Amino acid sequence: MSLNDTLKNLRENGIDEAKRAERLQELNDLRVNLLGKKGPITKALRGMKDVPAEERPEIGTLANNVKKDIQAAIEEKMVELNEKLVAKKLEDETIDVTLPATKQVQGTKHILNQTIEDIEQFFIGLGYEVAGGYEVEEDHYNFERLNIPKDHPARDMQDTFYLSDELLMRTQTSAQEGRDMEAHDFTKGPLKMISPGVVYRRDDDDATHSHQFHQIEGLVVDKNISMADLKGTLDALCRHVFGPDREIRFRPSYFPFTEPSVEVDVSCFNCGGQGCRICKYTGWIEVLGAGLTHPNVLKMSGIDPNEYSGMAFGLGPERFAMLKYGVNDIRDFYLNDVRFLEQFKGVN
Amino acid sequence: MKISVNWLKEYIPVTHTVEEMADKISLTGIESSPVKLGEELTNLVVGHITSIAPHPDSDHLKVCQVDVGESEDIQIVCGAPNAAADQYVIVALHGAHLPNGVKIKRGKLRGQESNGMICGLDEVGVPAKYMPEEFENGIYVFDEPQKPGQAVYDLLGLKEQMIDIDITPNRADTLGMRGAAWEIGATYDEKPSFTKPELDDAKVTSDSDITADVEEKQLVPDYLLREINGVKVAKSPLWMQRRLWNQGIRPVNSVVDAANYTMIEYGQPIQAYDADKLAAKKLVVKLAHNGDKLHLADEDKVLDANDLIITAGDQILGLAGVQTSDVAAVDENTKNVILEAGVFNGASVRKAAQRHDLRGDDSNRFEKGVDNGIVTEALMRAAQLVDQDSDVASISETITGNFTKAEPTIIKGSISHINHLMGLHLATDEITKILDRLGFDVAVAGDDITVTIPTRRWDMAIEADLVEEVNRIYGYANLPNTLPAGMETKGGYSPKRELANKLRDILLGEGMDEVINFSLLSKQEVEDFNVIDSEYTKLLHPMTEDHEYLRNSLVPGLVRNVAYNQARKNDDLQIFEHARIFSRATGKERPDEITYLSGAVSGNVVADSWNTTAQPADFYYVKGIVEELLSFVNADAEFTFEATKDYKNMHPGQTAKILANGQVIGFVGKLHPNYQKAHNVSDTYVFELNVDLLFDLNKKNVKAQAAPKYPAISRDLAILVDKDVENGQIVNDIFANGGKYLKDVNIFDVYQGKNIAANHKSLGYHLVFLNPNDTLTDEEVEKSFTVVKDSLVKKFNVEIR
Repeated sequence: MSLNDTLKNLRENGIDEAKRAERLQELNDLRVNLLGKKGPITKALRGMKDVPAEERPEIGTLANNVKKDIQAAIEEKMVELNEKLVAKKLEDETIDVTLPATKQVQGTKHILNQTIEDIEQFFIGLGYEVAGGYEVEEDHYNFERLNIPKDHPARDMQDTFYLSDELLMRTQTSAQEGRDMEAHDFTKGPLKMISPGVVYRRDDDDATHSHQFHQIEGLVVDKNISMADLKGTLDALCRHVFGPDREIRFRPSYFPFTEPSVEVDVSCFNCGGQGCRICKYTGWIEVLGAGLTHPNVLKMSGIDPNEYSGMAFGLGPERFAMLKYGVNDIRDFYLNDVRFLEQFKGVN
Repeated sequence: MKISVNWLKEYIPVTHTVEEMADKISLTGIESSPVKLGEELTNLVVGHITSIAPHPDSDHLKVCQVDVGESEDIQIVCGAPNAAADQYVIVALHGAHLPNGVKIKRGKLRGQESNGMICGLDEVGVPAKYMPEEFENGIYVFDEPQKPGQAVYDLLGLKEQMIDIDITPNRADTLGMRGAAWEIGATYDEKPSFTKPELDDAKVTSDSDITADVEEKQLVPDYLLREINGVKVAKSPLWMQRRLWNQGIRPVNSVVDAANYTMIEYGQPIQAYDADKLAAKKLVVKLAHNGDKLHLADEDKVLDANDLIITAGDQILGLAGVQTSDVAAVDENTKNVILEAGVFNGASVRKAAQRHDLRGDDSNRFEKGVDNGIVTEALMRAAQLVDQDSDVASISETITGNFTKAEPTIIKGSISHINHLMGLHLATDEITKILDRLGFDVAVAGDDITVTIPTRRWDMAIEADLVEEVNRIYGYANLPNTLPAGMETKGGYSPKRELANKLRDILLGEGMDEVINFSLLSKQEVEDFNVIDSEYTKLLHPMTEDHEYLRNSLVPGLVRNVAYNQARKNDDLQIFEHARIFSRATGKERPDEITYLSGAVSGNVVADSWNTTAQPADFYYVKGIVEELLSFVNADAEFTFEATKDYKNMHPGQTAKILANGQVIGFVGKLHPNYQKAHNVSDTYVFELNVDLLFDLNKKNVKAQAAPKYPAISRDLAILVDKDVENGQIVNDIFANGGKYLKDVNIFDVYQGKNIAANHKSLGYHLVFLNPNDTLTDEEVEKSFTVVKDSLVKKFNVEIR
């Protein structure tokens, strides 16, 4: 066999073997065996000395091509086998993605605090400070300073937890009004505050009453505060809490520390005002009480009611949350069954 | 109070439905709802019993022939004991609908045909307690002949339409029909017209031997009487009776009804006494003596010196403004009557009514106030009504125990200020028109207005009251929505609240649910966790033993939550609370309010699952939470944990005080097994941190350091040491001796037991050395490591392994 034919045979066999290989190792072996220094091509080229000089370049070129072709066949096959291998590996690694996750649990903020903080954020955006206040309060701030004198019905012993003649568990976050007005420097601008917190009433606990509950008091005192300001503020609040399509309405009411006093209704977020069980078929739901700060309350804090006016409002986070999420029993908030608590994950 | 539309029509024109009116009144004045009585009633007519015969097969049934205005009488079987011939009665015809879904059908009763039912008042919608007593156990019988076959509804007020007004305490002026007519009239721009009561001059006499005296004049500004002689007590007319029972007042007789009717008309309670039953001719209003007894509402009430009473000699007639006893009650035999109209101090009446549990129509009015300006007129009206229906011989002039002339209130204000407070720009005449609708006199001088308020609106006192009146009648719906337009202010939380919010977020991130508990605890609970060593603070008048004391720790609340949840198979719990506790120093009355952050972990912290094994909570898990929290306080402080046996309900071997620079700021540990058992909770770990103290710690000034460029070198150290030596001591000593390049010491092994000498434990530490500025050499590290080991051997007698 001429050298030429030997090389061609080697090419044919080499390519054939590469194509038939089933494992990467076979291809590696093939490369070493065929193309290595001790391989048949190298061995065959030793016969070059017998080839006439003029044919040598041609044989040389052929030998190089044979090497290249075998190399190419091996590489091609390697790619193919690698792909198969990866595919097999992926197949082997396939898992059941419907199996439950490894838990990465975050806790749930109490729904009342979520409700309170949502309202706080709204008012912070309007420039209100959030004030704390005392839960044990003096009769003076809880009643007297709110225009509720000694023999007023609201001060009956059965409604208030007293600690002594002068100390009590505050019955309303409005108790903070007097303290904030006293502390405020009106030369630095208006007083705008909300005061969220816990209040206490001498009530039997049942589905709609709790001896402890929350309130958020709001108070703005400045030179030009009006009923229209109160209405605009509460309208924006109710849209924020209950949805952008809500409307509010004022109804006349009575609180000793505001004049005029109003109850505020929001159009029913459930039926949009058509009338349903939630709004007792009126289209409106009572959500809070408000009014212009009574001149006596301003005077008692050393503020001239002819120069300044104030607006105040008080709302109940329990009521807001009960309405918004359909909670039927106020006691659920204080039993802290984690199944109840965790349903409110991320609602606010 | 329910405002009858028919009655209202005597004072103002009414053109709207009760629904529309209730809506409008709610928005301009007083919360109202429509009431439509007897909407379901049908086929109820007057019947005339023409004959009556015993039922052949029954002892108590009767067979009545009844004229119901048709060509022939119909037969109705009736069981009422008072049914008799020639009575005019209520007949429910075949097909009639009665309250509560009752339908009347013709049928047979023990074989006798019955074509309907003869009804009692309670069967057609008048509550039994408000119908005349004589008809309590039988059918209703009209006092006078009526046309058979005519509908009974108007005769008996069965389909009365009313507006139920739910007043706020300042609007008691509407607790009488006349006051209500003013309010509703103002809403619809209709001024009410009233007829003045008049007495028959021929019967009025100045001759009376009755006198009146008021001992407590400041509590009783008005006390007026009229004596009426020669009275023939009868039944009051049907129109008055039906108005009374629709007001929830039982008709009694022509005198008592006149008094009650006047109260509804004027809002002024009136009493009537049988003059011949009085022990003396002088009525005296005075304070009771402690221990005086008075029979009221089927009970012997024991009076005290705060009770204002009406007396005649030794006789106590009643609690002033609250309730009158039966001792001098007017009955059908009464011949001489004394009518009384008094005004009694609201607070005094309220407290007496509460003290004796006797709140009612009278006390409700006096508590909130009555119109001092109409006492005389109301008394005259009552006398007029008695005269109309009781065939009176003579009426005395007013006998005065005390009288205070009521003066109108003058309020001065300014148009611009009123507008400014509303946020409106109403013209002067628009404002004055509204005030006029309310029946107020207005005088305008430029921007100033002077408003004269009649005595019936005693709630009006200052300019702000005018603002309310003008604004509500103008309509709150017409107010624009604006926001306060003053100087810009910066809103936000207090720095302390910011810190608390941050710490709460950490705990939420740790997977803990937030809870909110009650501040009031039982005595047992405040004793259980008085870790802060506070005096207990007790309520003066607690409602229940469960909520008697102010909490001195958040732990009892958390334990309640764990128990509640575990009783419901929520076994794995991680909860926290951010709230105040109350700490009271001995001798102080007022407790300090301290903000705390506390948590409890119970059950597994990692659940058993297909790819994880359950990991129960332990001390170190909760300690890890606490340490992470403390790292976020950003305090320039050294936090340490110190084993403690001080807390009786904590595990003595698994509890530590948490200290900041040596000051106790809280604790962490396991509940005592006995306490856990007593509260039905599984192994539970709690922590408690004083947020106020954390807030007071100095802030850390963080100065940035570049991440280290040179590699760290580590050494492992295994030691055998007496089991009572704490890890903290070892670590401190390692740091003290490890040189300036020692960066970190981690314990990776704690072992006690097999192959370890008794009372000893084996500890393994991983020491990390790092020089931020140069490559550390093994020699430098080895040198420091040797110093560390030598010190441990010397100080703690450890064996290096």
